[in-house]
Amino acid sequence: MAASIADVRSALSIPGHVTPNRLQQVKKQPSQSVKKPEGISRELYSLIGPSAPSLAAQLAKPRLKQKPNLGGGGKVKWEWRNFKNGARSDSLELGHWVKASVDPDSEYPFAKYNVQPTNYIWSPDEYARHLEDPEWTQEETEYLFNLVQEYDMRWFVIFDRYEYPRGEKEAGRAIEDLKERYFSVCRKLIRNRTWADENLKTHLQNLMQYDKDREQMRKRYLTSLDNRTPDQLQEEEALFIEIKRLEQNERKFKREREELLRIIAGIEAGLPDIADEDASVSLSLDPKRRKKGMDFEIPATPILTAPVMKKPQSYKNAAHDAQHCIIRNEPSGTTPATKAAHTPSYMRSYKLPVPKAAIAPRVTQILAELGIQHNRLVMPTKDNCALLESLLETTTALVETRKVVDKADYEIKVLKSQLEVRENEDEGDGTASVGEIDDSDVFETQKNGRGESIGSTRSTRNRKLCRRSMSTSSVDTSVTLPVRAVKRQKRA
Amino acid sequence: MSNDGKVRVRGLSIFRPIIYGNTATLLTTEDRKGGNIPPDHTHKWTVAVRSAASAPDSDIVGGADDLSYFIKRVTFKLHDTYTNATRNIDKPPFEVSETGWGEFEIQIRILFITEAGEKPMVLYHHLKLHPWTVTGEPEIPPPEVALKMGPVHSWQYDEVVFNDPFQNFLNILTAHPPTPLPTVKKRPVPFHLANPGSLEASRGGIPEFTRLMEKEEAARLEDAKKKVAAEQERWRNILIEKEKELEQLRRRVNNS
Repeated sequence: MAASIADVRSALSIPGHVTPNRLQQVKKQPSQSVKKPEGISRELYSLIGPSAPSLAAQLAKPRLKQKPNLGGGGKVKWEWRNFKNGARSDSLELGHWVKASVDPDSEYPFAKYNVQPTNYIWSPDEYARHLEDPEWTQEETEYLFNLVQEYDMRWFVIFDRYEYPRGEKEAGRAIEDLKERYFSVCRKLIRNRTWADENLKTHLQNLMQYDKDREQMRKRYLTSLDNRTPDQLQEEEALFIEIKRLEQNERKFKREREELLRIIAGIEAGLPDIADEDASVSLSLDPKRRKKGMDFEIPATPILTAPVMKKPQSYKNAAHDAQHCIIRNEPSGTTPATKAAHTPSYMRSYKLPVPKAAIAPRVTQILAELGIQHNRLVMPTKDNCALLESLLETTTALVETRKVVDKADYEIKVLKSQLEVRENEDEGDGTASVGEIDDSDVFETQKNGRGESIGSTRSTRNRKLCRRSMSTSSVDTSVTLPVRAVKRQKRA
Repeated sequence: MSNDGKVRVRGLSIFRPIIYGNTATLLTTEDRKGGNIPPDHTHKWTVAVRSAASAPDSDIVGGADDLSYFIKRVTFKLHDTYTNATRNIDKPPFEVSETGWGEFEIQIRILFITEAGEKPMVLYHHLKLHPWTVTGEPEIPPPEVALKMGPVHSWQYDEVVFNDPFQNFLNILTAHPPTPLPTVKKRPVPFHLANPGSLEASRGGIPEFTRLMEKEEAARLEDAKKKVAAEQERWRNILIEKEKELEQLRRRVNNS
């Protein structure tokens, strides 16, 4: 600009403004004599002139921070060592590089991450009581649980390998079906078993939550999100922009109206209310606002706990309650406030639970072994009474289980003697094929690892003869079996 | 009585910790000198209903608070062989002192003040004269040994619970907060058959009820529950094994 003005001036021959030009020339001359800095070509320097230094500094080789010394100085020695993974059941030995400083006897550090999910098993009795499902048979459920165990709960793998033979007309199971069955069975088992730690129980139950419908809906949404055509995408985009625009208009309109009201009516107070009210009605994507709108609705529901509100304020204090031994219960809205409904005063210990008469002796005996008297407490406070109650419940469950075990024992006994009687008869007829017996032997050995129980005595003809003579005592040998089973269980 | 006193405070229960039981000591020759004690009586005893907390430096178990603010009368029904077997006590302390030679069941009937609007409550206490034993079996040691062991204490802690109390009764109760039980053990633990392990700790002086006893009992209950739960787990596994075996046997029976 300046130059053009100067040109105009010179063209119009206006004097007096020549000096700046000359000054510039004077200034330029010393600058040219400044030495060209390093790292910049002569041509470039002549182009950009003296403003170069700042650039040149950047062009110079950058000085980096010194590399941090992480090794603590010196070299680290690495070794190729064989190691065993403690989490493996086979004795496979692999090798890896380790620092020489690591103790060679130390355990493989990653073994601990091989965590097996708890395998839930159930007794047929439990299945009949809690786990029945018209959609599933017990065999299929067991098959599913075995798969889950085998593939470490990797559901996609499980789904892939799931090949349970089902009827022709029945549709195959979806992955959600498998998951739902698995989690619901686990949940039911957890709920119906006795736990020493209630917190653990609720924690496990929360872990086992599964909502099939929700999961399916989620997948449907994802699929539909994935299947949008470019046209739809565009439309969505357009709609989004439209919404934004509308919102902006709305805001603008509101601002203007506010201003107008302020100017015309001079309303200062009360105006924000009007704006707020509108805000909750207007189309809004802001979740906070939406929540606010819901808040307005809550007071509309009738307050059922009105009697509590009537109480003097001074009672509202936990410390006060503790001091005066006051316990507040949820007032039940259903019980009428009649004289008959009133629970008379009682001694705390008189409300201790009583075990069922049929099993009371066994419950008492079990508790006595643990040094607990089921009918009296040293300090029958509310907490202790509750504790005793839950203890009694647990003990009752234990007694019930043992009863079922006894029943199973008895049935095993009966079946065994039945089997033996039948075998003896067969032998007496001389029609029993040896092969058949051997087969059953193998079967037994495989299944129980308990071939010695019945099978081994049957192997020779001599023994067979002996056996016939002591057929009455054979019942006794079978009785010892359950005991052995118990022992094995203990060791496991 | 004003009308609003007759309003029940719903959804609230209020309790008062009490103890009931007896203390017994052997009669000495000096005791016999004074009064007309029958020659066959061997012990003097006091049966009482008291507040659970003990007053500091008192020579009795419990009794820090005066319970007459909610108890109107306590009736002790002694063995029929006593003259006036039914003893009504209308004023604190609610206790009866007697001499005797044998243990028997005492019926204790507590009548609450009229404001409570509650029926009387009946408790039973087995009068304990002879020293405690671990087994709980009554065992009468020779007098010299018993004398050395000191007085016998037999007390039961309990809580009187009032549900939905009348407003004015609630006011009366809250005007008399019970003395809280101490949280540290300063004196021996009162022996109780439900906790035979406390026998040693109960020796040597006048026992006192503490918060610790509640905690100790809670711990014992928790411990027992854990053991029972573990046992239950074990038995369920046994059951599963058995049922599998049973299944196999059934199959064999059906096949053969």
